[in-house]
Amino acid sequence: MDNVLVRVQDVFHEAFGVDARLISLDTTPNDVPAWDSVGHLDLASRLEQAFGISLDVDDLMEMENVREIVRIVNSKL
Amino acid sequence: MANRPESNFAGQLAKRLGEHSYLIDAATGDTVLPADLPRLISSFATSLLSAGLKQGDPILIGCSLSPPSAIAYLGAIYAGLVAIPIEESVLVSSLPELVKRTHACGVWTEKSCGSGATADLGIVLLDGHPRGQRTEGMPPAPCKENDLAVLVATSGSTGAPRFVMVSHGNLTANTEAIVRSQNLGTDERAMLILPVSYCFGASVLHTHLFQGGGVVFDRRFMFPDKVLRAIKEHECTTFAGVPTVYNILLRRSNLRRIPMPSLRRLLQAGGPLAPQRVTEMRAVVPAAKFYVMYGQTEATARISCLDPEHLDQKLGSVGRPLDNLTVRILDEEEGDLPAGQTGEIAVGGPSVTLGYLDEPEETSRTFKDGWLRTGDLGHLDADGYIWIDGRKGTFLKMRGVRLSFAEVEAKVTAVLGVYECAVTSVPDPEVGEALALYIVPDKDPLDLVERVRRSLPTHWTCESVNIVSEIPKTARGKISRAALAKKGTRADG
Repeated sequence: MDNVLVRVQDVFHEAFGVDARLISLDTTPNDVPAWDSVGHLDLASRLEQAFGISLDVDDLMEMENVREIVRIVNSKL
Repeated sequence: MANRPESNFAGQLAKRLGEHSYLIDAATGDTVLPADLPRLISSFATSLLSAGLKQGDPILIGCSLSPPSAIAYLGAIYAGLVAIPIEESVLVSSLPELVKRTHACGVWTEKSCGSGATADLGIVLLDGHPRGQRTEGMPPAPCKENDLAVLVATSGSTGAPRFVMVSHGNLTANTEAIVRSQNLGTDERAMLILPVSYCFGASVLHTHLFQGGGVVFDRRFMFPDKVLRAIKEHECTTFAGVPTVYNILLRRSNLRRIPMPSLRRLLQAGGPLAPQRVTEMRAVVPAAKFYVMYGQTEATARISCLDPEHLDQKLGSVGRPLDNLTVRILDEEEGDLPAGQTGEIAVGGPSVTLGYLDEPEETSRTFKDGWLRTGDLGHLDADGYIWIDGRKGTFLKMRGVRLSFAEVEAKVTAVLGVYECAVTSVPDPEVGEALALYIVPDKDPLDLVERVRRSLPTHWTCESVNIVSEIPKTARGKISRAALAKKGTRADG
């Protein structure tokens, strides 16, 4: 889980230009200004590339915070 | 012209509210009842004046897709103040600049923005939910049709924001024309996911309330299924989106699995949506009529509307001008062009706004002789339908962000082997507008296209790189984007 979180933090940094250290399991879209509906799609495609996974529409709906993202990524590895 | 309460746009709107005028926050379920709404607007107006603000004073309003911010926005206009709707997060992060730029005398935010950051600004600070007193609030502030009602920031990612001055008469004229063009009844309910600080979002709020209908606010569009379920749950009749919104719905939501039987109409504006996407949306939600519209903040909100009855026949057009507007197509010497010829779209009528705040030169250039130069290139067909061919101005809009042609041209011209470059924008289903580059090479163009593509930042979507022998210029030696737009049209067609 920890390792996945570190890699998710890197993806957040690439997608939104935020300091990776500020991204925690509890981070939500309210905490990251660029994490809007378009940013969410960009984030999803970067996660797909970084982890070699495929996210479907239902996964996108569940990615409401970093904890959920880590959980979903883990379930697909 | 005398000051009259009936010229106050929000006053008229408050008077027309009806039994369907609910304001609902979809995320929390918080609901403002129709019986309370007029009093909330008028008593918020009273509280602004009690706080020391005077008629004509500009006030920044933090907007966050919620009933309270809509009430605060309408209440400020009702009080005769000049409302400046700004997304609340933007407002909080750049308050001192915004106060300086707009001469705001007050600011209202839904959440407190903390007195520390604002103590030395010398303005009236208000926050929290507008509450209705038991007594009726004030009557609408009397005003003239030409009095300023709203300052609307135009989108832009860099440089100083620009504010468009919108009058009470502008708002009334545009609202009435939009109501007619969409056949809005008195029992409508809009699902609003676009901020009220954006003229398209504001127009949806205005028109639905003006007809005695209501609005559901939903800030959860990043999880589109939630919005679709809220449309179903709250029995919304209208949904409004920009191209990105429809692209997300079609590709990244369960649109096909969530029935929305109450929907009567889908509104689309804010840039070109690929005709195939329009067709797909209609196939998925066949009961709703699809309205393609064209507009600009400088024209209050909407300029034209494609009647759904003629959608098949005129797919790709943005429709005909609203019934109180006149559209002309001008050549580069400002002469009128006949049907079929591409030139700059100019608009005249009662919803052409008063101009840009504190920018007299740009105002006289853009709003010359009462005709708004839109900066968009287009043509009329024989039936008077408007077809957008490109953009004349100095910017294109990619992923919702304005990008200057000059910046792109400078970057491309710096690539070894490029003698001259001109860029134009082309509609793109994913990003709104993409780049089309025209390059005059200075020697053998071997590998040039590839090297130019590699030189572009990855977030710039480039539709084509075309090697040409010369760049079309106007008589004054400037790049003729009208001619470039035509080149693009021919290449596509």
